[in-house]
Amino acid sequence: MSMTKLTLQIDGRSIETESGRTILEVCKENDITILTMCHLKGITDVGACRLCLVEIEGVSKLMSACTTKVADKMIIRTSTEKIKRYQRITTELFAAERNHVCSVCIANGHCELQKLAYDVKMDHIRYPYLFPQCEVDTSHPLYVLDHNRCIVCTRCVRVCAEVEGAYNWDVMNRGTNVRIISDFNTPWGESITCSDCGKCVEACPTGALWPKAVVQGQLNKAPEFISDLIEKRKMKL
Amino acid sequence: MNSQELTTLYDKAKQKNAQYKHKICVCCGAGCISSGSEEVLKKIQEEITARGLENEVSAVPSGCMGPCNQGPLVKFLPDNTIYQKVDCKNIQYVVQRQLIDKKPIEDLLIFSDSREKPFLNADEDPFFKKQLKIALKDCGDINPEEIDDYLNIGGYSALDKVLFKMLPEEVIAEVKHSRMRGRGGAGYPTGFKWETVYKYVSAEKYVICNGDEGDPGAFMDRSVLEGNPHRVLEGMAIAGYAVGASQGYAYIRGEYPLAIKRIENAIKQAKKLRLLGNNILGTNFSFDVQVRIGAGAFVCGEETALIASIEGKRGTPSPRPPYPAESGLWGKPTLINNVETFAGIAPIINQGGEWYSEIGTPKSAGTKVFALAGKIKYSGLIEVPMGTTLRQIIFDIGGGMQDDGEFKAAQTGGPSGGCIPAEHLDVKMDYESLLSLGSIMGSGGLIVMDKSSDMVDVARFFMEFCMDESCGKCVPCRVGTKMMHDLLQKICTNHATKIDLDRLEELADYVKECSLCGLGTSAPNPLLSTLRHFREEYENRIRQFEELQP
Repeated sequence: MSMTKLTLQIDGRSIETESGRTILEVCKENDITILTMCHLKGITDVGACRLCLVEIEGVSKLMSACTTKVADKMIIRTSTEKIKRYQRITTELFAAERNHVCSVCIANGHCELQKLAYDVKMDHIRYPYLFPQCEVDTSHPLYVLDHNRCIVCTRCVRVCAEVEGAYNWDVMNRGTNVRIISDFNTPWGESITCSDCGKCVEACPTGALWPKAVVQGQLNKAPEFISDLIEKRKMKL
Repeated sequence: MNSQELTTLYDKAKQKNAQYKHKICVCCGAGCISSGSEEVLKKIQEEITARGLENEVSAVPSGCMGPCNQGPLVKFLPDNTIYQKVDCKNIQYVVQRQLIDKKPIEDLLIFSDSREKPFLNADEDPFFKKQLKIALKDCGDINPEEIDDYLNIGGYSALDKVLFKMLPEEVIAEVKHSRMRGRGGAGYPTGFKWETVYKYVSAEKYVICNGDEGDPGAFMDRSVLEGNPHRVLEGMAIAGYAVGASQGYAYIRGEYPLAIKRIENAIKQAKKLRLLGNNILGTNFSFDVQVRIGAGAFVCGEETALIASIEGKRGTPSPRPPYPAESGLWGKPTLINNVETFAGIAPIINQGGEWYSEIGTPKSAGTKVFALAGKIKYSGLIEVPMGTTLRQIIFDIGGGMQDDGEFKAAQTGGPSGGCIPAEHLDVKMDYESLLSLGSIMGSGGLIVMDKSSDMVDVARFFMEFCMDESCGKCVPCRVGTKMMHDLLQKICTNHATKIDLDRLEELADYVKECSLCGLGTSAPNPLLSTLRHFREEYENRIRQFEELQP
């Protein structure tokens, strides 16, 4: 596909870029902060967390920056009061949906959800906690899957399929009952597809997936390593 | 088969039909079957044979006739006399009086229990008289399991016409001219959709018929598929020719086994006569249809989720753009239309877009099928011109309220729609008017409620439905509907305060604006519209609770 130069406006700034890129990519290149959770550079974007919603002039709906391609003369607003309000609600809903207790979480201090809460200045949660009864799968020799901390961003599912090619992870059930499952909902340790590579663990933004060898407060994930890997593989081609 | 042979087939079908002096249609739609119509049909056929009338009278199963709560229904043609609630025990009597003595039994005629004088010709009854049937036209008069019956009424002549007399562009122009809008709910102009798909250049394109009708209380698509499956197939084939597709998929929800059986049967019959498959009517145009069965997810009625489901993936929606017209099934340009939309295509081709565009209102042309349910006297399936008022539908056609109750509200559009209160009974049923009242046309479900209905509970019911059906992909819909449901539950049980109502309204706005697909963005509609028209019911409950607090 041929690239054509185009000019657009984001938050009042005039920006030159090329066609074929997403709003999110263009914003990142120009140091415009867009909050994301389900996005991980290099893997397919799904527009599920709805944190990256932006206003586009002439479009009645809010559009997810990660899945919307830029167009010439687009006028985009990324941080209006309305968008900030919605980002805050999304964050609160994430926090209220499952059992996110930072003080006893392995990812405390290294968690993207925790960082998001700081970013949107979430000082309290206005919705009742749902406190669901969630399982913890410790059957894998190296890693743990703790559904209590999962926000169903599906980064693990996509990394496993698109980067590792193992297709171990999938999603089951509907609504707030959705669960990340290994194979056909078998314990992770009994998976016949998992290659124990650990990419899903690195990709996971919260304390839902973590290596057993780590103690609380010591977890340091490197999701950018996945993006790096994808970049370097592309260069080889 | 070529075009000439089709004409011979028409003659043959006509001849076959002409030998019968009477035709008895026994409604074998899912509704009437559940009240025992198959047994009635068997008994009637036995009775005909016993009287040695089998060369004069044909008794066949047919599709839905409309007044579903009066079943089993039996229609005598050509007199057009309909008997209701037919019992196997009095079939002998009915046949004797209707066919031999020519003295119809008034006490058993349709609506005889509620009208002073029932009508011998059902079309004179207000229930039928005020309707205009296009999509449902032959439903109830033909045997959906026999292609001959469809050919006898000129079936596939529209396909014949487009293949031999029209260019794809002309077909699209005709559909555009008809001003028909998608009957699935959103009301996108059908012709424009076709044109968009037509314009994308691709060796492969697809046509999908969306029969995943999931709204509680809606059964329009089911009845069309059960009553006249060939009409839908013909519409799909015409669409295929127009947009340049050679493969179609009929996606039908698994809860409709009879519809699936009949469309599969229809596909087989049409293929046998080369009206589907390779080189249709001897031309270069090939079009095949395969059935895909939905597994019970409401969200699969959303087009991107439906496509994912056909591709064998988990049925979850994806952000648009790209729209299916550009990148749909297997990444190819794809046309998705609703069952009722396809059912309207053949009449538009045969009678012209001009004819269709003159029916209805300036912005909403044609007719719309509604499924009447709830506290209405005659529930069932009706088809009226767009712009017919709600009052006409409920009181003239539907016979008014059950047990002479007082009308409170009508819910249109199911869990994605809203309610219309009594002061708006004269609203014209078209896309824009319903939208301005905070409801939507939707696929055509119409639930009538009387004073005994609690509107907060209605909102809670639909929110529970959306919560259960949310696929869980995006946060606003997944968690938002759950939170809203819990808050509504709290109001329903008189445990909510003013703050809860504020939260509820804030969430409703958030879920509407932020959700990924139509399920989420429309999930707050029942809540928002009941808040708009019946706010005092919410506030009364809150006041009651707050007054109890120390």
